[in-house]
Amino acid sequence: MKTITVLSGKGGAGKSTLAASLSVMLAKDNKIVAVDCDADAPNLALVLGLYEENFDNWESLITGEKIQLSKEKCQSLKFCPKCQGLRKCVEACKYSAITWNQEEELPEINELLCVGCGACELACPTGALTLKKVENGSLGVGKTQYGFPIVSGQLKIGESGSGKVVNELRIRASKIAEDIQADYMILDAAAGIGCPVIASVRGSDYVILVTEPTPAAFWDLKRAIELVDHFNIPCAAVINRWGINRDFTAHLQDYFKTNQIPVLGLIPYDVRFVRALVNLKPAVVYEKNFRPIFKQIMENCLFQMQNIPLY
Amino acid sequence: MKIAVTGGKGGTGKSTISTALALELSKENRLLLVDADVECPDDHIILSTTREKVKDVHALLPRFNQEKCIKCGCCADVCKENAVVMVKDKYPFIVTRQCNGCGACLLVCSSGALSEGRKVIGAIYQGESQLPTRTNKERDKYNLLLIWGEMDVGCETTSLVVNATREYADALASDYDCILIDTAAGTHCNVISAMIGVDLALAVTEPTPLGKHDLELILQLLKIMELPTQIIVNKYDVGNLDLIENASKNNDVSIIQKIPYERDILKKHSRGQPVVHKNIEELANTLVSKLNHEGQEGGLQK
Ligand code: SF4
Ligand code: SF4
Ligand code: SF4
Ligand code: SF4
Repeated sequence: MKTITVLSGKGGAGKSTLAASLSVMLAKDNKIVAVDCDADAPNLALVLGLYEENFDNWESLITGEKIQLSKEKCQSLKFCPKCQGLRKCVEACKYSAITWNQEEELPEINELLCVGCGACELACPTGALTLKKVENGSLGVGKTQYGFPIVSGQLKIGESGSGKVVNELRIRASKIAEDIQADYMILDAAAGIGCPVIASVRGSDYVILVTEPTPAAFWDLKRAIELVDHFNIPCAAVINRWGINRDFTAHLQDYFKTNQIPVLGLIPYDVRFVRALVNLKPAVVYEKNFRPIFKQIMENCLFQMQNIPLY
Repeated sequence: MKIAVTGGKGGTGKSTISTALALELSKENRLLLVDADVECPDDHIILSTTREKVKDVHALLPRFNQEKCIKCGCCADVCKENAVVMVKDKYPFIVTRQCNGCGACLLVCSSGALSEGRKVIGAIYQGESQLPTRTNKERDKYNLLLIWGEMDVGCETTSLVVNATREYADALASDYDCILIDTAAGTHCNVISAMIGVDLALAVTEPTPLGKHDLELILQLLKIMELPTQIIVNKYDVGNLDLIENASKNNDVSIIQKIPYERDILKKHSRGQPVVHKNIEELANTLVSKLNHEGQEGGLQK
């Protein structure tokens, strides 16, 4: 099985549109599993017409930890030279999650900022701080009407650890892939190039970069390419909405040529893509005329992937 | 006044709106625009600003001294990121890329084999708008400084870069009437860090089922953070506005402005030009009157 990650850096460049249509096309002759790795704001299932309640099951994920303070234990050291006045925990937290509350003379923890590293727990001489496991997300498996399963996650609002949630999603997706003997796994990555995206890209066989002809998207794309190079993964590009700026499209094509990144295809600017989204249909299903575009992208992609080693 | 522009989903137009709003507001106010999307900051591209690095952002990186190490393995035990590799009877090895700089291993090492080193994880930049469409006179009229954080590619502890950017902006705050913060997409730690201490959050959305879905997520987060919030509907005339109006009603958060879908807006954006639109002007006016209002209240309290 080969894992293909769809990436763009900038949000809204058309990752989900491409991932959904590509999945539908690929699923005709292959067994595939789709994974929505944007645990912050998962949309791939929706684009494929699947609401949360249509999923077979949702289970909670416990991959996070948060710190808890016992006020009594902390106060017990008021006169202890070891901590009183030193506020070891405040000093230990590199994430600015602990501040000193002057009035109460106690540390105050901002749970939203705590990443659960445990440094303060180690720093506190009284054992007033303890890490507690927290449920930080959920994982769902659904069956799309296009014949393939989708694994989707949702980070609990205000919790951290989207990278860890993505790892869980991938583990689950791999199990399903094994069961059905899938040929491909398609990952739809989050926006940006931070930890959830790194968790998607790491260990992928191939990356498709989606971009659009705007200076801002190009800037973000270059950062995404740096990331892909960092992990040494072969990649190719798709230019979306090329009609909005033809000059810049030519500029993009030059750039890809110079950098030896194959362009799998161009997707025109067309308001029907928006309508497809509004109607919760993949573009290739909503509008038959779009099929040749995605078919070509798929064929080019499969052709390019022939030459990559399989791990 | 500190305002955050956020929105859950990527591509709803946060940067387009932030930059347009910043230009509008800077006509009559001293405005500091902060691009806190440190993974992919692009406001400086949209505003064609100069690019000056003001400082590096560092994270802690443990420095290892083999001579003092007793191979106890405690450092590997406490590291939640599995950044310390410990093979039996060998010295521990720290995988720089995996380390989030929390310092836990330092705290636990009793032999003093670990000390505090550091690595660069990103930088803070600043710039002034150099839009070619403006004459010098027009440029003088605007009073806008952009600062942004940029994390190094491959870094996973992006919230540290956001925190550093926010702190840098806070230090400059007294020179400005208004701080506008453009956040990253999503609801994760970066977005949370960017919005700490703001007076108002504007959630940008679009009238599609996806837009609604992501709007509800960000509204939940803003509720947990107890931040006053209003909604901006972008591209309000494509799709189904009812979706957002319902979400607005159900969550008890009002819509402050609607911005239409215009090919012109998209074109300008694609040429790297900021968008000027009467609805954004209106939004700026609404915010300014809020700002003045609060200023007066502050005055009365004195
Ligand atoms: S666990 Fe880590 S991030 Fe959380 S409060 Fe303690 S030191 Fe800070
Ligand atoms: S280090 Fe422990 S005892 Fe000291 S202030 Fe923090 S919680 Fe209290
Ligand atoms: S600083 Fe934290 S993440 Fe880095 S090696 Fe030490 S314990 Fe692990
Ligand atoms: S905790 Fe200190 S002494 Fe123990 S293995 Fe780690 S570096 Fe060596």
